[in-house]
Amino acid sequence: MLEIGYGEGGEIRLAGRFDASQAEGARRFLDGVEGTRTVDLKDLSYISSAGLGVLLAAQKRLVEAGGGLRLVNVSSHIHDILRYTGFHQIFEIETL
Amino acid sequence: MSMEKAFERSFDSLEGIFAFTGEFFARESIDPGEHHAVELAVEELFTNMVKYNAGSSAAIVLRMERCNGDLRIVLTDPDADHFDPTAIEAPRVDRPVEEREPGRLGLFLVRKLMDRIEYEYDGRRSRITLTKTLG
Repeated sequence: MLEIGYGEGGEIRLAGRFDASQAEGARRFLDGVEGTRTVDLKDLSYISSAGLGVLLAAQKRLVEAGGGLRLVNVSSHIHDILRYTGFHQIFEIETL
Repeated sequence: MSMEKAFERSFDSLEGIFAFTGEFFARESIDPGEHHAVELAVEELFTNMVKYNAGSSAAIVLRMERCNGDLRIVLTDPDADHFDPTAIEAPRVDRPVEEREPGRLGLFLVRKLMDRIEYEYDGRRSRITLTKTLG
């Protein structure tokens, strides 16, 4: 199960498992995001290509409009996945 | 020792699939550092079978076994078109964001995270075997 919402500081918080069954709900949420936002992944335990695709689509849209997503508190195993897929070149990333 | 279970051809099966892999990890005392890679590989191949052969109602069978130092994962789709995941061209992951397109990352990651992928196709039965050497 994936939880997605805004934290107290206005950051986007992703918690749980970001798999293919959760991608549509996350896409709907991120479609409503504008500007430059921090995404806190501290409580995200798992991500697959379905989740990566949702993040990439959001980043493309936001960068084109002059904004973007910044990923923070990224665990080492998720950071490996982001690195393998070249996401470290298209997102600003801060590890835990 | 091996475990095997059939799953309905639906993304909604993922929760049950992860419960199954979790049970296998616990039973075989698989290092938690290996869990994400194995779960990801299983999800990518299972969801590919769901997406690209949605017309079938046949269940997809997942088998996991530990053989000496290897973990072997076998996914069998009894009613599939030919689709060889070992023959897919890798996406360009070094492109700037405006040139990136969502998609094709799943099989790329499976190849990156697993040590061996074998594909067999016989009649309409498709079988993919993944091997990961445990550290």
